[in-house]
Amino acid sequence: MNNVMSVIFASDQESKLNELTIHRTAASLPFCGRYRLIDFALSNLVGSGITNIGIVTRSNYSSLMDHIRMGRDWDLNRKNAGISVFPPFVLNASREMYKGKIEALYSIHGFLEHGDEEYVLLTNSNVAMNLNFEEVFAAHLAKGADVTVLTYRGYPSTSRRMIVSADDDGRIEDLYITEKPDTKEHWMALNVYLVKKDWLMEVVEYQYARGNFDWEKDVLTKQVKDLKLYEYRVEGYVAVIDDIKSYYTENLALLDVENREKLFYGEGVIYTKVKDSVPTVYGQNATVKNSLIADGCVIDGVVENSVLFRGVKVAKGAVVKNSIIMEHGEICERAVVNYAITDKNVTIREERTISGYESYPVVIVKGKTV
Amino acid sequence: MKQRNKKECVAMLLAGGQGTRLGVLTRDVAKPAVPFGGKYRIIDFPLSNCINSGIDTVGVLTQYQPFELNQYIGNGQPWDLDRLSGGVYVLPPYMRGAAGEWYKGTANAIYQNIAFIDRFNPEYVLVLSGDHIYRMDYDAMLHHHKKNEADCTIAVFDVPMEEASRFGIMNTNEDGSVYEFEEKPKKPKGTKASMGIYIFNWSLLRRYLIEDEADPASKNDFGKNIIPKMLADGCKLWSYRFEGYWKDVGTISSLWEANMDLLDENSGINIGGDGSNRIYARNSAEPPQYISSSATVSHAIISEGATVYGEVRDSIISHGAHVGAGCRIIGSVILPGAYVANGAEVLYSIVGENATVGAGAVVGAVQTAAVGGEWQIAVVGPGVKVPDGGKVNPAEMIG
Repeated sequence: MNNVMSVIFASDQESKLNELTIHRTAASLPFCGRYRLIDFALSNLVGSGITNIGIVTRSNYSSLMDHIRMGRDWDLNRKNAGISVFPPFVLNASREMYKGKIEALYSIHGFLEHGDEEYVLLTNSNVAMNLNFEEVFAAHLAKGADVTVLTYRGYPSTSRRMIVSADDDGRIEDLYITEKPDTKEHWMALNVYLVKKDWLMEVVEYQYARGNFDWEKDVLTKQVKDLKLYEYRVEGYVAVIDDIKSYYTENLALLDVENREKLFYGEGVIYTKVKDSVPTVYGQNATVKNSLIADGCVIDGVVENSVLFRGVKVAKGAVVKNSIIMEHGEICERAVVNYAITDKNVTIREERTISGYESYPVVIVKGKTV
Repeated sequence: MKQRNKKECVAMLLAGGQGTRLGVLTRDVAKPAVPFGGKYRIIDFPLSNCINSGIDTVGVLTQYQPFELNQYIGNGQPWDLDRLSGGVYVLPPYMRGAAGEWYKGTANAIYQNIAFIDRFNPEYVLVLSGDHIYRMDYDAMLHHHKKNEADCTIAVFDVPMEEASRFGIMNTNEDGSVYEFEEKPKKPKGTKASMGIYIFNWSLLRRYLIEDEADPASKNDFGKNIIPKMLADGCKLWSYRFEGYWKDVGTISSLWEANMDLLDENSGINIGGDGSNRIYARNSAEPPQYISSSATVSHAIISEGATVYGEVRDSIISHGAHVGAGCRIIGSVILPGAYVANGAEVLYSIVGENATVGAGAVVGAVQTAAVGGEWQIAVVGPGVKVPDGGKVNPAEMIG
């Protein structure tokens, strides 16, 4: 796929991840014990042979830069390819954050023009899936599409998901953004698009000149009848993370072996930054059930239905249930953590009890001690 | 121009050993490539020690089953040994002019690579072996070597007197200088065993290697020839006493013991570390380990990608290994990618890479003590399948 380059949007201005994205972009949100959300986008791109990648950030991008470094962990430290990170200050002269994808793309037109590739894959980074884009590319060419819109099947559990309806040939007839959650299943946009580069740049220039910044609202929904928009349905496991609830449920969904098989042992390998943690050590008193546990943990307490990131300590007598404990969390003796998400470097002191509800997991902010 | 490549100290890692005593575990791989401790290979220890000691130029001397080791080392990136100048080099024997030959002995292996070492014009050469589990700061040893203005410094490890006759023993004066070396003495005079780790002044060693090669009677071995010759010539040989965990993992029993030591807080082995003091390994890119609702895990070390549905006690489960429902894994080492099917028992055993233990099979037996210093460890070779309901006896090796 030498003919496709990619732009990854590291932040989604519509995101409702609140406490979890105070210190980071959605792209660098830790996921499933040892990953960051952007690992999935990067690994899928690399696995499909797309190696010229620009990452557009809006704010709080230092954790992302720290994670990506030179892209070596994805084999992207190449002479003729690799990662270009565009921090907000390079995007416009007024040093404001960009207002939408149109403005972001306008700002990096130099990067887009410079690439030899004829096509561009635009992707948000809040999606965890295992997908080879070669089929998407083939479908795009076969249909003669202006834009191929990747979709997945699910419930619009949060607002602001884009619902897509298409004819039998896959041509999109309508797409709109929901304003309220819905219990009916739909095909919804993943915010991943394949377009021809020249065409994209013309559209971006035209829209930017007229003060339009929103790719989805100003281009796709408004011109659905005029443009040849085709959907490409992604079957299998897809996680879209855009609020605390979806973050929680999608992490725990990976306790299901079938979901893990699809996400990690599907078409491509999912790479992440290597941290050289030692394997996890289970003590004499450990009782662990139905949990995903990264390397570098030391567990001597009870862990059930939970996801533990690297370097987590669960002391003797401590209980962790239905929770997500991020890197270097420390659960001290006889502490109880239930229905919680603790961010990096959180300590729960002896005999403290933290508990949320399944529908509303409590979040402990990065670095705090309870 | 040569000075631009100059390194103070170059490490030469002897990784050519066939490791015959490890049987089926080294049938297809060199001993240093044997997996250890859930996510490592034996060679990760000396390589990590090098980079953690500030040595960034390492020659790895291979000749036996080198493919897996070559692939594992690659460009050295996992150990931060991918360098513009220096880094890690895999050095197999090669043809020189009309003649070419295998590495005949440890000293001959270095002799054959004199040109490689000369390229870096080093003051010192550190000679290491690739079959020991230990963490050591070679820089402290080099400092000791320089302070004593020694010609050669040999790392030694205190062994119990009753075991001393199994080692090469350095007899030293009170100040640590060596006056005598005895290979496996029947009546040992001391307990300072050579660890096979040497620092030499390169210009001197270079001369001795050339002389040794010219001697047709020589076995071309450091312990048997070079060290005794240097002693006889009055060279300044010093011992460097290493305190910490060190284990030769040359036998199945000792390899198993070293793995079990990881579970023993008092063993002194410590693979942890932070910042710039870790043991590095090539990563296998697998998701976190999964411990199911039906699993019972206590006193165990488990690595990425492992899936556990049965009972695991006093054991090491390596990355990508699977332990089925109703299994009992006790006192065992399950190597990467091995599959233990439902209801199987694996007791005091080593199950090789990508091996399969069929449903209900029984491998090994629980033991309370070593017999004559050797544990009766059952071994299932890499890629081997134990049939459903099959049996592998203690100390039996299949594959």
